[in-house]
Amino acid sequence: MPPKQKNELYKESARKKDVRTSNIEAAKAVADAVRTSLGPRGMDKMVAAPNGEVIITNDGATILQKMTVTQPAAKMLVELSKSQDVVAGDGTTSVVVICGALLKKCQELLEKGVHPTIISDSFSKASAKACEILESIAIPVDMEDREALIRAANTSLSSKVVSQYSSLLSPMAVDAVLRVMDPARPNMLDLRDIKVVAKAGGTIDDSEMVDGMVFDQKAAKSAGGPTRMEDAKVGLIQFQISPPKTDIENNVVVSDYNQMDRIYKEERNYILSVVKKIKASGCNVLLIQKSILRDAVTDLALHYLAKAKIMVVRDIERDEIELISKTLGCLPIAHVDNMKPEKLGSAKLVEEVEVGKGRVVKITGIENKGRTATVLLRGSNKMVLEEADRSLHDALCVIRCLVNKRFLIAGGSSPEVQVSMQLAHWSKTLQGMESFCVRAFAEALEVVPYTLSENAGLNPINIVTELRKLHAAGEKYAGINVKKGCITNMLEGDVVQPLLVTTSAITLATECVRMILKIDDIVPTR
Amino acid sequence: MALSQQSGILQQGASEERGENARMASFVGAVAVADLVKSTLGPKGMDKILQSMGRGQEVTITNDGATILKSIYVDNPAAKVLVDISKVQDDEVGDGTTSVVVFAGELLREAELLVNQKVHPMTIIAGYREACDCARSVLELISFNNRSDPALFRADLLNIAKTTLSSKILTVDKEHFANLAVDAILRLKGSGNLEAIHIIKKTGGTLQESFLDEGFILDKKIGVGQPKRIEDARILVANTPMDTDKIKIYGARVRVDSMAKVADIEAAEKEKMREKVRKIIDHGINCFINRQLIYNLPEEMFADAGVMAIEHADFDGIERLALVLGGEIVSTFDNPDTVKLGHCKLIEEIMIGEDRLIHFSGVALGEACTIVLRGASTHILDEAERSLHDALCVLKETVSDARVVFGGGWPEIRMAKAVEELASRTPGKKALAMEAFARALRALPATICDNAGLDSAEIVANLKAAHGAEADSRMGVDVVRGEAGDMAELGIYESFRVRQQVLLSGTEAAEIILRVDDIIKCAPRKRG
Repeated sequence: MPPKQKNELYKESARKKDVRTSNIEAAKAVADAVRTSLGPRGMDKMVAAPNGEVIITNDGATILQKMTVTQPAAKMLVELSKSQDVVAGDGTTSVVVICGALLKKCQELLEKGVHPTIISDSFSKASAKACEILESIAIPVDMEDREALIRAANTSLSSKVVSQYSSLLSPMAVDAVLRVMDPARPNMLDLRDIKVVAKAGGTIDDSEMVDGMVFDQKAAKSAGGPTRMEDAKVGLIQFQISPPKTDIENNVVVSDYNQMDRIYKEERNYILSVVKKIKASGCNVLLIQKSILRDAVTDLALHYLAKAKIMVVRDIERDEIELISKTLGCLPIAHVDNMKPEKLGSAKLVEEVEVGKGRVVKITGIENKGRTATVLLRGSNKMVLEEADRSLHDALCVIRCLVNKRFLIAGGSSPEVQVSMQLAHWSKTLQGMESFCVRAFAEALEVVPYTLSENAGLNPINIVTELRKLHAAGEKYAGINVKKGCITNMLEGDVVQPLLVTTSAITLATECVRMILKIDDIVPTR
Repeated sequence: MALSQQSGILQQGASEERGENARMASFVGAVAVADLVKSTLGPKGMDKILQSMGRGQEVTITNDGATILKSIYVDNPAAKVLVDISKVQDDEVGDGTTSVVVFAGELLREAELLVNQKVHPMTIIAGYREACDCARSVLELISFNNRSDPALFRADLLNIAKTTLSSKILTVDKEHFANLAVDAILRLKGSGNLEAIHIIKKTGGTLQESFLDEGFILDKKIGVGQPKRIEDARILVANTPMDTDKIKIYGARVRVDSMAKVADIEAAEKEKMREKVRKIIDHGINCFINRQLIYNLPEEMFADAGVMAIEHADFDGIERLALVLGGEIVSTFDNPDTVKLGHCKLIEEIMIGEDRLIHFSGVALGEACTIVLRGASTHILDEAERSLHDALCVLKETVSDARVVFGGGWPEIRMAKAVEELASRTPGKKALAMEAFARALRALPATICDNAGLDSAEIVANLKAAHGAEADSRMGVDVVRGEAGDMAELGIYESFRVRQQVLLSGTEAAEIILRVDDIIKCAPRKRG
């Protein structure tokens, strides 16, 4: 018995239709909001937070996160871009734009009376097929091939404010990831091992990757302590150099003048003894963890430390301890009695350097350096700096994607056009509603080249049709060269991106669309 | 019939509804609740967004009847009864939470018609009861049992898991998840302790990337400078303050007259801590897991001793760890000999998505396992967890009671047929109630069809005809192809326990609501 197509026509009740339409509309509105920031010629958004703070960014995930949306379906799109950020780190705008386009197609299909679950099932098949197609056009990449990695980072950076500095930032991102990566266990790559210190002043040109470690904090020199130390022995301490404090509440009872004097003296002696113990261990640079229970280090202690020619960096956050101990090869010390030479890390030079208006502490020439990297970012103002930070993060993620899945595909929307074309072709082999839905899916993917050319000020219809023609003629890598404003072979133009970014964008967007489609009611709850 | 507020018997503000009105109110309420969840039934059922009106406006997206009903506002007493039965269904068997509510709703809808035809509610109840007994015996008769053959039994379990999952978000990857769930359940070896299955949710990746891990995964960090990998671990699980041992007497304080003494006390406190750490290390362990924080000093001491210390494992985590590792939770350390330590072959750090987690493999309790769920967003993950939980519950029930029936409305059609035969032999008005019962049973497959956008009247009629023509027909609703199909071939199986529970609780709930002829609302408690 053939399936009864006539029965599958779906009549929705008014309420269900309302809910679904409003969900789709809301999600589309979110997608439209970020649409114009796609691609190298995409525009930035200025987001003013309720507390008056302003950020300027091109990063889809950041824009959506700062936009406080309340509509449940719109929230799902925000979540979507966040998970793309987690998986691939890049393509956070594309994923939302694709999702919006798919939803628009869904609306058309629903109006024609296709049941939502049929759309949902066909879309999931289409997305699986799309990933297959992408894998078939992907080019394997070797981790040794630094140039290829840099090209991928370049593509990611090209849409950002900092694109003109991509020649500087891309190699930096590649080197940082390669340094952190453990060749034996490449899957354990953790981007938190890369420390990015952003410091205002100067231009992005002045950014550098430091062979060692940089602290945002100044060296404490109120008491005239040293700010430069050669052949440093670095101690990372978690105890405090301040008058003793017990966990039980205590009061010191002072009954006469003499006692007051004595307490004063005892405090000095106490601190002096601590400093002496530190000195005895051979330590000459101290990194002191922040403490909320009591002063991490008092002025008096600083004075003695300065006299003992020990350089001090204060206010190290507890989260950073692990990274520092990994980098310097030292162990955190939680009690002064445990100050032992073997727990210290050694470095050729620790010095405070002037960077723009501020100062940072640099540690270089570290012995037994762990697998970590530090990047010092510079920028003329806070907003540029923050955007540079986000862009660098994206670039790092791109490289990480390549470590996890070592394939590159062409950029400039050529994979989307290719997938769209092949899917449309595939849909002809299917039958019934499924074929119709897959066809719609293929058409929706064309939103990427369309938006890309629109944002670049080109004629989108011309470009998209031209691309279709070229791809149909077998030019698999033809894409939009936004800089030249024409269509070229993307591989020759060195526009490449990791496979994972595109596959995850398509699968995640599909998953999200399917979820939105399945909803037929919004129920208020407690 | 008017409200009898003027009678003066009830307190001011209280109200009473009687007779027709009361019955009407409870019918309306119950049917409304049933209609609310109706559209989530079946493989093509839809989801609901639950939008919290409280702070944070949290959003939940779900297909699970129990979850929906648990979270909505209900003011109607009869509706509350339905919410309750779905909760009970959830606790008892874990699945069929929507079916039971829809069934009860249909029974009441039919009862309302009968009451309008001047059939006394007690007659309806009597008819429903007899019909329910009849349906139950039929259900027992048509169930089958494959326990004796492990391969067949596993296939049954897989089919049941797939059927349960097919109405949820996991439907596309149901093959994958059914395998996950069945593997996890079979590891339990019939102990039915779902505690030993730990579910971790991590955003990122796709649902397809979810996996079952033989062992235990803890979402925590290992202290700085400590070994990241331990083989043949001896583990002490504890719940003890590792910041300071505070004296719990209120207002305890010390008075001293010099700084040196303060320093002494501080040193004494530190020494106490050291003593504690030494005692802990004296247990001969190489891994220490604490529910509470571990401060820097003890952390360093553990690092020096080469002991892996994990802090801040939450309550749930600790209890599960103790169970899985076969140790016990300790809070005093004076008698190392009597303490039962936990053991496992290997502890190491693994990376899932962007996070580092700690992986215990080769644990003492071989039954334990962890399911790591991956998905695009927290909404998807939460819903996936709920669905997986449902599947696990059903499988657990099936492992303890291996009887299985086909799904897709097959048992309902069979039962309806038997009930109708019974009705044709029964004299009196009761027969009307039995016929109504049969119609209510058929409403379940009809709803499944409606949700899938199919012509329910035609398909149910076809099913009825197929079952009428052949006594042991296996026809049920094939939602995918939109017609009547052979359930055995399609592999749509359900647990006998779930179906039985739906039948019994549904009938019971309808009976309770039918019996009501008076609703008294007490005056709201006066506030401040």
